[in-house]
Amino acid sequence: MIRTRTGSLILHLMPILIPFAALFMTGIIITVLQSFGIGFALPEGTGFLSAYREVFQSPFFLASVRHSLWIGLVSASVSVMTGMFLALLIWNTTSRVKKYSVVYKIPLILPHITVAFIVIIIFSQSGLLASLAYQAGLLSEPADFPNLFYNKTGTGIILSYIWKEVPFATLMVLSVLQKLDIRYIQTGTMLGAGFFRKFRHLILPHIAPAVHTTFIILFLYSFGAFDIPFLVGESSPRMLSITVFNLYFRAQLSSRPQAMAILTMMFLFSMIFITLYTRAVTAVNPKARRI
Amino acid sequence: MGKTSGAARDAAEPGLRSSPRGGINAAARDGTTLILLFILFVLPLVVLLVSSLASVWTFPRLLPESLSGRTYMYAVSQGREIFASLLSSAGYSLLTVAAVFFMTLLPARALARWDFPGKHLLDALLLVPVLLPAMTFSMGIHVIFIRTGVSDTLAGIVLVLSIYSYPYMLRALISAYMRISEQYSVTARNLGGGFFYTLLHVEVPMLLPGIAAGASVVFLVAFGEYFLVFLIGGGAVDSYTGYLFPFLQGSDHQTASLLTLIFLFVPLLLFFLMEWTTSSIYRKRGLEA
Repeated sequence: MIRTRTGSLILHLMPILIPFAALFMTGIIITVLQSFGIGFALPEGTGFLSAYREVFQSPFFLASVRHSLWIGLVSASVSVMTGMFLALLIWNTTSRVKKYSVVYKIPLILPHITVAFIVIIIFSQSGLLASLAYQAGLLSEPADFPNLFYNKTGTGIILSYIWKEVPFATLMVLSVLQKLDIRYIQTGTMLGAGFFRKFRHLILPHIAPAVHTTFIILFLYSFGAFDIPFLVGESSPRMLSITVFNLYFRAQLSSRPQAMAILTMMFLFSMIFITLYTRAVTAVNPKARRI
Repeated sequence: MGKTSGAARDAAEPGLRSSPRGGINAAARDGTTLILLFILFVLPLVVLLVSSLASVWTFPRLLPESLSGRTYMYAVSQGREIFASLLSSAGYSLLTVAAVFFMTLLPARALARWDFPGKHLLDALLLVPVLLPAMTFSMGIHVIFIRTGVSDTLAGIVLVLSIYSYPYMLRALISAYMRISEQYSVTARNLGGGFFYTLLHVEVPMLLPGIAAGASVVFLVAFGEYFLVFLIGGGAVDSYTGYLFPFLQGSDHQTASLLTLIFLFVPLLLFFLMEWTTSSIYRKRGLEA
């Protein structure tokens, strides 16, 4: 038995460090290597960076990037805002009702692909909302209802992410709200602070770290995830994850490095985003450092 | 840490407007909140239920033309396949929970109790798999698995799901460890308990609420994952998400609705089971849950 502190520490950390290095880091290294064409029998004369060159020459790539950023940004922002709002509402209910409020967790249980399905039966052109609009005399045929699923703004995908992600944001904010010492609020009330003042000066600083963490997680998830766009199956512009999938599995073998090049760039982008976002938050509020 | 007791907290309603005068106001607020939550989160399930009971339900009807048990008959006739894929999904998800628990128990202990150089960096680094798009590392892992023959096996699925979901368990265990005093372990060791004896009989029981919290998230992530199972399992290992996918994409929304509702059933069942086991363990040991 190793008795030194360092030895004990290393033994303690082994169970996670081994799989982390063997699978996670190696996985990323292989992705990067393959993006340089290493590990493939590529035709002579293909350079080190040719996959990157081809990716940037493709007219679809930038559209794909823009589309993914847009969907990530909109769904994460709306989800975080709505989640914050619902958390405040639930926090403000009396304990009599609070136990029923757990229904907000339903989408957390449902897998992403079923969430997209639910959004389709409600929001598609022949969905329930379209029927409701018809009955209300607002439209006369399905085509009058906006096509949310195959449009350029990816509304259907965004709606799916929002329904799935709002409960996550609610959960994150609610769990820190419950730790907020209620005496601060009572003092605020006694000193005559109104709702917005209390929100701005007592609640917001308290929940800010959780809100930022939630935003990072949700933004990067909707930016790079596969399940929902794959189920919705939109054609153009495509999200990056779908472009990667098509390049890797549905195109010829020689375009696989391109798929890996896009993944490498997504990886770098995510790391830079996490670093910059955490920095920016720390610069504004040094106490909100912990991610 | 000055913990407010549960009773005191209930007496003073936490909230923005926590004055005692809010009788009618509070009731109205409760009502609106509940109605909003039900419209947002329960109504879609009601839609699924109605849809599963409809023979057909097409535009522009607000309710189905007629009801039928068609989808239920279909589910019964496909019972074997549905059950097999649910069982397989539950199996690899539970194995993932177990794997993740063993991967993170000791690291959480070290990260919660000891200070060492580079701790914050390690803490942040170990969180990365949950932040990054899963594709960035899973496509590389897929290549490793193909080379080593782990691809298309149960082990492969459990490994990839573990890497993807362990941060949830690690977080839960670290905060659970921070809530229990190190003195318990020291006492147990002084009384002659070995390291693993202390870990298993003193620490783990006190960590149970944290373990339960981490396990539920990990289970849900594994159980609902489509892409990773599809990529690494390659169809060789049954999964309910894989079974469900073509239905969700198809035009028979009625059957897809029922199959989605069936999906909900397994996690709910497991949660009730878990609630029940943890509370009965705690009762048996005379601890307060």
